[in-house]
Order: sequence, then C-alpha cells, then structure tokens
Amino acid sequence: MSTSHGSAVPTQATPAGARAGGSHEPVPVTPPAPGFVAKLGGGVLELFRTARELYSLFVRTLYYVVRGRREKGAVAYYMYEIGNRSLFFLTVVMGFIGMILVYQAGVQNKRILPDLSMLGATYLEYLVRDLAASIGALMLATRVGAGIAAEVGSMVVTEQVDALRMCAADPIDYLIKPRFIASIIMVTCLIIWSGLVAYVMGLLTAWVMFDLNPQTFMNLQMVKYPALLTGLVKCLAYGAAIPIVSGHAGLSTFGGSEGVGSATTRAVVNTSLAVIILNLIISATSFLVFG
Amino acid sequence: MAKSKEVAAPSARAIETKGVLHAAGEALLSIAQTTGSMGLVAGRLLSRLVRLRIDRDELFRSLYRMGVKSMPIVVVTALFTGAIVVIQAAPLVQRLQAHALVGWAAGFSTFREIAPLLTALMINGRVGANNTAELGTMVVTEQIDAMRVLAIDPISFLVAPRFLAIVCTLFLATVLADALAILGACGAGMVLIGVSPATFYNSLTGGLIGVGDIMSGLVKSALFGVVIGLSSCHFGLAVTGGAPGVGRAVNATVVASAAGIFVLDYFVSFTL
Repeated sequence: MSTSHGSAVPTQATPAGARAGGSHEPVPVTPPAPGFVAKLGGGVLELFRTARELYSLFVRTLYYVVRGRREKGAVAYYMYEIGNRSLFFLTVVMGFIGMILVYQAGVQNKRILPDLSMLGATYLEYLVRDLAASIGALMLATRVGAGIAAEVGSMVVTEQVDALRMCAADPIDYLIKPRFIASIIMVTCLIIWSGLVAYVMGLLTAWVMFDLNPQTFMNLQMVKYPALLTGLVKCLAYGAAIPIVSGHAGLSTFGGSEGVGSATTRAVVNTSLAVIILNLIISATSFLVFG
Repeated sequence: MAKSKEVAAPSARAIETKGVLHAAGEALLSIAQTTGSMGLVAGRLLSRLVRLRIDRDELFRSLYRMGVKSMPIVVVTALFTGAIVVIQAAPLVQRLQAHALVGWAAGFSTFREIAPLLTALMINGRVGANNTAELGTMVVTEQIDAMRVLAIDPISFLVAPRFLAIVCTLFLATVLADALAILGACGAGMVLIGVSPATFYNSLTGGLIGVGDIMSGLVKSALFGVVIGLSSCHFGLAVTGGAPGVGRAVNATVVASAAGIFVLDYFVSFTL
C-alpha cells in the first residue's frame, strides 16, 4: 500500500519553475493537481479496467478448464488446501453464528408474538436461501482469498511467475485454473456443511434458551425448490468469484514484501465486496423471478 | 506450481503419520502461544495508552489513512447490505402482509447485528490486513530494530497510535454504516415491495427499537475494534521470513480476527 512519503516532489518543483519563468529556458511545467472531476473520472476508469481484467481472467480460466493441460493431483491438492484447511475455522464461526441468529430472532419474535413454533421453519428457509451461503462465503473470502493472494503474490514477487512465462506456460493455466475448479467444488461442500452446523447449533439454542421442542424446530415445510435453487446458485457463484478475484489481486502484485501485503489486503476487500454484490444481484433476481 | 507441489507432498504425508493426538496437541500449543503473545502485546499497549505516551502525529496520520480512506468501502457495503436485508425479508412480508413492520425489522437487524458485523469484517480486511502488512514489512526490513537502536519506543511510536486509530475508525464507521444501511433498506423497500419512506420511517421510530439496540451495536463495534487492532498488531510484529512471511501473517491475522469477531459477538449478544 502506498505510504504517505511520496508527495514531496511537486512542492519542490513549483518554486524552481516560478523562478525560471523570467528567462527563455524551457519552464518545467508541473501538472495541475487533479480536481474532483478528474479524480472521479480516474476512479471510474480504474473500476472499468479492473472489471475488464477480471472478465478476461475469468474467460481465460474457463478456456483452460476445457482445453488446458491436466496436471495429476493439482486439483486434489488445492481441494485439500481450500476445503479441509478451512473446515475448522468455518465450523467454529458458523456454530456461533447459528446461536446468535436464533437467539436474536427468538428475542425479537417474543416482542411481537409469543408463539415461537414457526421459528425453526423460518430460520431454515433463510439459512438455505441466503445466510449459510453468504456468511460462509464471506468467511471463505477472507480465509481462502487471502491465502490465494498471498501464495500467488509471493510467487510474482520472487519471479516464479515470470519463470513460468519463460517456460511458455501460462500462469493462469498453472496457478488459477486448479484453484478455480477446487474452489467451486469445495465452497459448495463447505457451505452445505456450514448450513448444517448453523442449523444444529440454532436448534440447540432454541431448545436451551426458549424451551422449544426440537421436533417443532425441525420443520421443513417452508423450504421450497426456489429457495434451494437460489442457495445453490449462490454457492456456485461465490465459489467461482473467490479464486478469480483474489487470483487477480495476487497476479497484479508489484514491489517486495510490502506488495504482497497490499495484494492480500486488496484480495480480502475485493472478494468480500464481490460476494456482497453477487448476493444482491442473485437475491433480487430470485425475488423477481420466484416472488 | 511444481515447487509448491514438492513442498506440499511431504507435509501431507507428515500429517498422516503424526496421529490425531500429536496434531491436536500441536494445534493447542500454537493457540496457547498466540494467545500468550497477544496478551503480552495487549499489556504493553495498555501501559502506553494509560500513560498517554502516544505519538500524536502518527495517530492523526493513521486515522486519516485507516478511517477516511476506508469510507468508500464502508459506504458501498452498508448500502448493499441494507438492501439485501429487505430483499431477504420481502417474501415473508408479502406473505404476511406486514408492510408496516419492514422498518422495524430492517432497523433491528441492522443496528444490532448486521452493521457492526459487516463493517467489522470489511475494516478487518482493509485496515487490519494492511496494518499487519505494514508492520510486518517494517519487521522484515529491520526498521523496528533500527528504531530500538535509536532509543525510540516502537510500541508508543508505531503500534499504539495504530491500535487507537483502528478502534476509533471501526466505531465511527459503524455509526455511518447504521445510517447508510437504513437508507439502503428504505430504498430497496420502496422499489421492490412498495413500502413508502414515510411508512418505513414510522415503523422504524414506532417505539419497538430503543436506544439500547443502537448502543448494543456500537459497544460491539468498539470491542471488535479492539480484537482487530490487537491481532493485526500482534501478527505484524511476529512476522518472520521475508515476503512470503508477510503474506502468511496477513492471512493469519485476517482469519484470527474474523473468528475472534464472531466468538465475541456471541458473548456480547448474550450479555447485552
């Protein structure tokens, strides 16, 4: 990330330019400080450039998924890295999330109507349609996204990626594609598991805190096919977005160890934002389609 | 690729041969070690904060870099999550014809959980990770040792201002996120399910949401700030091993803070 020491050059150049104005020597022109419109335009252009790069990376990854070279064991290795290594973290977080959600929902429900019998059914519907996928994916975005960006970024900094290019091997084929396949499979599995953990912990919380019978809580009638479909589409979308966005952050690393740190930061922020934006798009579409 | 696989193969085999007890003990020891050294960092920080031995310029610089520069992310996240809350509630609202309760539902979930949690996660990713990366880079390039040689206390000059800035940033960002998320929820309610802003406002201020709900979220956000500040400073100062080490430290701090935030959220939700 850029430190705040780099702004000394223009202030030194300005008095020199003013003094040289009397003679006919070429005056060193200092570019005017970018105004608000220029900054806004620069930001928008940067956004479009990033979007185009992400799109190109996604398309090339898809191309290599079909046409790329098969490396034995690579996908399995990354499945272990992404999936099994995140299991403990995700289980702890989703367990606590399940307890918090049911507790808060129960307390609020009691303020309006004392009947808690539909709590479990509603909770399960929200879990399937949105909460398991979105909260789980936000967690995985930090865990997996930071990991991918740090790995790829340190390979870029130590010039291993350039070495790959010199061997006529596309880094996307070697580095991004196996992570992409592994992430789509494992994110879906992990989200299903995290939904299960959150549901069971919610059931226990309702039982202990509100004396709600587990059989009343285990009510599946609210979960319909649209909810299942929405949840599954979210799993696939997040699973595809996490390696692409964080891989892009890793591949665009520059500078030494500072660069790796900033690439990791960018990966976490951009991946989380991607999850939130995808969530908004998919949720709104599902609401408009299924009602 | 080939290199990473060579590294991977022995470690995968090592996990198989180590046995469950060995692995569990090792994990427990490493957790204990992290907790202990984090406690040490906390103690040192506290001793500087109590005696007010903080570099003021560095504090303001950190506040600007961490707080002001994070505003775009906070704004986007808050607006979008507010809208998502209403979209998720929309089918239920239409089934029960509960249009008059949308403001209450959105306000309650936003103030108590969603704004503090989501803001903390985003600030964790942007500020916490960045802080670790900066401190880690300084450790790797031996700048911290240079400070010690010059008899400058790195904790009061570098670490304490950042810690304080993170806590302030998260608290103030949550206040902003509360307001913006409500705005996003109001907009989504108007567009998608036809709840007019006046209805939304009335149900928001109808008496079901008290100051306690908002305060609960704000207290949480300050505690989350402490978690993020502590873990990012600790992992940043504990970096070893060059550029890959910095990457690993950033990864570790983001994961540790996220887990810490959720565990703390559970306990705070039950006590408040």
